[in-house]
Amino acid sequence: MSAHAEATRLLPRPLLITLTVLLCAAVLVPVSYILLASLNSDVGVASGEFWPSSFSLESYHKIWTTADLSTGIVNSLIVCGATAIASALLGTTTAYVLVRFSFKGRLTILRGLVGLQSVPGTLMLLPVFVLFSSAGNYLGLTVVGTRWGLFIAYLTFALPFSTWVMVTYLRGLPRELEEAARTEGASTITILRRIIVPLSLPAIVVAGIFAFLLGWNDVLFASVLTRPETHTAAVALQVFGASQEGGALPVYSQMMAAALVCAAPVVLLYLVFQRYLVGGLTAGGIK
Amino acid sequence: MATELLARPTETKAERKRRGVTERQRPLWLLTPGGILMVLVILIPLALALWISFIDLDQYTLRRWVEAPFIGLANYSEAFGSGLLRSIWISVSFSVLSTAATVPIGIAAALVTQNKYRGRGLVRAVFLIPYVLPSFVVGTVWKTMLQPDGIVNSLLGQHNTLWLSGGRSYWTLILVEIWAAWPFIYLMSLAALQSVDHEVHEASAVDGVTWWPKLTKVILPYLRGPVLLACLLATLNHINNFTLPFVLFGAPAPDNVNVMPMLVYVTSFQGLRFGLSAAMAVVSLIVILIPLFIYLRAVKLDVHEEGGRR
Repeated sequence: MSAHAEATRLLPRPLLITLTVLLCAAVLVPVSYILLASLNSDVGVASGEFWPSSFSLESYHKIWTTADLSTGIVNSLIVCGATAIASALLGTTTAYVLVRFSFKGRLTILRGLVGLQSVPGTLMLLPVFVLFSSAGNYLGLTVVGTRWGLFIAYLTFALPFSTWVMVTYLRGLPRELEEAARTEGASTITILRRIIVPLSLPAIVVAGIFAFLLGWNDVLFASVLTRPETHTAAVALQVFGASQEGGALPVYSQMMAAALVCAAPVVLLYLVFQRYLVGGLTAGGIK
Repeated sequence: MATELLARPTETKAERKRRGVTERQRPLWLLTPGGILMVLVILIPLALALWISFIDLDQYTLRRWVEAPFIGLANYSEAFGSGLLRSIWISVSFSVLSTAATVPIGIAAALVTQNKYRGRGLVRAVFLIPYVLPSFVVGTVWKTMLQPDGIVNSLLGQHNTLWLSGGRSYWTLILVEIWAAWPFIYLMSLAALQSVDHEVHEASAVDGVTWWPKLTKVILPYLRGPVLLACLLATLNHINNFTLPFVLFGAPAPDNVNVMPMLVYVTSFQGLRFGLSAAMAVVSLIVILIPLFIYLRAVKLDVHEEGGRR
């Protein structure tokens, strides 16, 4: 070990190894059981096997007929994708103005953006539900149960979130390029399109992905605002779990497989964008 | 609006320039699409939530909610008479205990991955797994493992231990929340740890300080600010966590884990007492206002503002 590493080392070696092993075990033991159970059969899992007596992908086949996962995943992709695009684009323009120009109420808006992320979801869901159901009574529009309704509901927390992600990024961006362009007579739209968007593309992608994940991970709004045809992946998984409760044979293997399938898109996004996502997270200080 | 409080009338143009914002050619119209949308989907619902908490809104009056009778604070007094205080206590104690438990774990994880060694990248990836998994997936898999005939009981050699109902459910909720939430503290501590200057390490090495005094007297003070900020945020996230109790225990939740979000959800969407549950939701917002206010003071809002005081 080099002198450099020796100086910055914080823990004695035995302690370091012990802690690392303990922490990894705390994560990996449950996670590997989940993987193994999903590759086992329902009978094998029910008999209490940790290590499957025979490996098969059977559970991964069955879940598409026993659970309504495909509808759920398609709905989640549509609604969360739309939420991601809308919040990333609107968040970028709003954040640009908030970072670069001063006006009355600016700090209030910035505070609001941060504060809104901690407003309980239940507090937002209630009025949204009342408004949506009264749209049916007063305007003759069906909103509850549609993908549109869910999309609008997701904007309530995705929009301030993405805007805040963009604010934290844009305030670190040097102003020289835009100022040069402005002296050349470029309009604000041109500056946004030609300078801000290309320079902050990684952050825009992160803002969009975070908005997508907020929607994908949501159970609260989707459990109230969807009906069977518009169930999201998260709700489909809950419905599957509830429908199997009290059955003769517990379908634990299928539950694990279905849960892993629901987690797969998220894990994939993190694998591809890991560096940006983790960086954006600690910079913005938000989950 | 509170804008007057925030405007700084004594500020000169030059100062404003230095702060990085300009007065000229403000394209404020760019705020309109995002702004209108935020007013529509956030401010109006928030105001409506407050209004609903003062009216007698249930499944019968929902169809014509505009005409629902105004009943003042009756919803609030009913809320306090029907288990809201107990839910607040459960929520607050659950959040504080979860945060308190994740802090040492998160800091320890940051300390062990601070130095380069072969395989560190892999260890860091492992530490992120609970964080990356969606909450509803974490809830589903733990619910499956904690069934009476699930793997946890078979590994423990027991068959009748109930984890998901009765007295243990509260501790189950805390344990699963800790499992899912410690990587957040880990990430925030790691970022703070990496901002410690190399000179600090060298000075300690030259002075021959042993690891424990170095850790507690030199390194941990650097972590205090960022970790406190992370604690506030983590506590807010725990207290607002609906997904985990909902997925683990279902609605209505057992009495021991009837946290505020569950109480509000069950009151409105199973009891269909919308007015009452709005009052409960408003009270739960008031409960989180104290940590939220401290957090808003500490977070860096503006370009040159100091945030996360150390």
